[in-house]
Amino acid sequence: MIEFHLDARSGVPTYLQLAQQVRQAVRLGILKPGDQLPTVKDVVGSLAINPNTVLKAYRELDHEGIVEGKRGQGTFVAPNLPSLPPDHVRGLRTSLQKWIDRARAAGLDDENMAALFADAVRPASKVRAA
Amino acid sequence: MSALVASRLGKRYGSNWALSECTLDVPSGSVTALVGPNGAGKTTLLHLAVGLTRPSTGTVSVLGRSPIHDAAAVLPSVGFVAQDHPLYKSLSIADTFKLGRSLNKNWDDGFARARIDHLGLPLSKKVGQLSGGQQAQVALTLALAKKPELLLLDEPVASLDPLARREFMQSLMEVVAERELTVLLSSHIIADLERVCDHIVILARGRTQLVGAIDDVVAKHRLLTGPRSDSAAVARVHNVIRESHTERQTTLLVNANGHVYDSCWQLHEVDLEEIVLAYLGQRAELSA
Amino acid sequence: MTWAAWRLQRTETLVTAAIVAAVAAVLVPVGLHMASVYNGDHISRCLNAPKDSNCGAVVGDFLQRFDGLNALIGWFNLLPGVIGVLLAAPLLLELENGTFRFAWTQSVTRRRWIAGKLATVVAVALVAALALSQLVTWYRRPLAHLDGRLETASFDFAGTVDFGYVLFAVGLALVLGVLMRRTIPALFVGFVSYIVARLFVDSWLRQRLLTPLSATWKSSALGPNLKTAWVLNEGPSDRFGHFLHPAFHSIAVPCGKGQGCIVAPPSVYQHAVYLPASKFWALQGLETALFGGIALALILFAAWWIHERVA
Repeated sequence: MIEFHLDARSGVPTYLQLAQQVRQAVRLGILKPGDQLPTVKDVVGSLAINPNTVLKAYRELDHEGIVEGKRGQGTFVAPNLPSLPPDHVRGLRTSLQKWIDRARAAGLDDENMAALFADAVRPASKVRAA
Repeated sequence: MSALVASRLGKRYGSNWALSECTLDVPSGSVTALVGPNGAGKTTLLHLAVGLTRPSTGTVSVLGRSPIHDAAAVLPSVGFVAQDHPLYKSLSIADTFKLGRSLNKNWDDGFARARIDHLGLPLSKKVGQLSGGQQAQVALTLALAKKPELLLLDEPVASLDPLARREFMQSLMEVVAERELTVLLSSHIIADLERVCDHIVILARGRTQLVGAIDDVVAKHRLLTGPRSDSAAVARVHNVIRESHTERQTTLLVNANGHVYDSCWQLHEVDLEEIVLAYLGQRAELSA
Repeated sequence: MTWAAWRLQRTETLVTAAIVAAVAAVLVPVGLHMASVYNGDHISRCLNAPKDSNCGAVVGDFLQRFDGLNALIGWFNLLPGVIGVLLAAPLLLELENGTFRFAWTQSVTRRRWIAGKLATVVAVALVAALALSQLVTWYRRPLAHLDGRLETASFDFAGTVDFGYVLFAVGLALVLGVLMRRTIPALFVGFVSYIVARLFVDSWLRQRLLTPLSATWKSSALGPNLKTAWVLNEGPSDRFGHFLHPAFHSIAVPCGKGQGCIVAPPSVYQHAVYLPASKFWALQGLETALFGGIALALILFAAWWIHERVA
């Protein structure tokens, strides 16, 4: 079960933050197809936010096909989602950690590492879009 | 459908108008924030809505009825928690619930007990021995146990510490999630309200300054910065809420009517707190 | 609403009951004793044979024996005042503490709430008044046979006046409370006002409510039986019933051994101004109506004021 958190000062609307966290959780395998998302009541009970905000987030995820709402039962992660097999994720994570260690040893701080990654990713996505 | 409609509502105490020309509409099912400085008329408005006071001018109707003339029909559907949540200090929580049952037609005792249980409060404890936060929770339970359609809260968390405030709001939102309930709550703490509310009413100097859905309000207000100039051109098209000038720069906070086309201005989004403060007529504070 | 009204008045009701119980605890044992002495010594015989000198002594003895407690009963007159202001307190405290805002936003209308609260106050007040008057009346039965019920000490607790007294105290406290907006001072001022009003009526007004009767008779004759009447004024007078100046009440004559003797002139008349026992209920009715009427006006005013009150 996923637990939401809220960054009230990030400038990102609350419902988008919730949706983002669900997508992230699905990507990382924390949420698997068929898993139930927390009920609206549970979410607002822990975050003290308006229920409509949660509904908006879940609706958006429903439109994207990531979750589906079942009347009277709750909201569930969609059954046929392409998600990365866990082994791949683990392997990639390990090699990423190794790269981070090398970068730190070379004297890069977090911002530099992020800039490097952003720069490297851009040509890749441009290629994909073309 | 509106849960509460005020039309040019006004209340005068002696020669002092606590509220005047107040016109607003609280949509059914919304959680509406009522913000304004002390003395702005928030308490007066809530008291008018619940029939504790008679209007001097204008009208107010709650769930389609007059709270003064139709009190017997309105009261069972409206839950109210007054400022400082007055309760009988010498009664135990259990006796307070018996009081609630005695004074209300629809009283859900099971709900009240379950809620108090969930909050971890012993039924036999005297209300006077509870902390401020706990008393606020008891007062809220009482207002909710009569199964109202509209809930009016007058600064329910003003005297509570941050944890108690958070718990109160969590609790309140859980109830809103489970049932058809319209909430109108007044508060100073705009950050709290932004999480919890979807509509806002800004009261200042006894008048309604702004009424609307929070998403719309935030979408329509913009901060304009640019070289020092006159705001007249902008003011012809949009509502300038606040303007300030330095030697070289002018800053305007506007309620935009459509797109701002003038290219000499830089546009910034504004958060709700800034918007509210501008309407309250205060200088913007840097957020902490 | 009913449960709420009673529960919020629980303490005051219990204190009132305790006061009545305390009065009973004092009066019942002595009353039983007094009744047994009265019956045992056959004092009732004396009612019909007033000239029996033995009777005079026996009755005098009896009265003196139980005199002490009778003085105490005078102090019981404070109790309707205490009970009245006490019962007004919960309602006033609601207004002072702001808890009425809670009560008026449940599901009962203001009118219903005020009526319900006042009903419980009046109910307890009337029951307490009934209990007190019944207790004292029962206690005083032997004395009433001898002295009548019009004497101040007796009258104050007989018949219906106590209902008027208690409600008057309630009304005073309520009106003072809604005007002063502070409960404790209102109760205090209300209680003091009650005492002042009672003293005024007891010592001055009561005897002027009805026209008294007069009688003039020769001192040597028997005169009317004024035992159970309320004698307002009695003394030597002339033939026409005009009271004599005290200087003429007696003359000094030499009297053996060269010492002065005081004797009453033999041909003087006696005159009395009095209210007969038959006027008991008329007087009760008037005084009850007086206090009760004012009480009703005060209570209704307070109710109206509260109803119109801006929160």
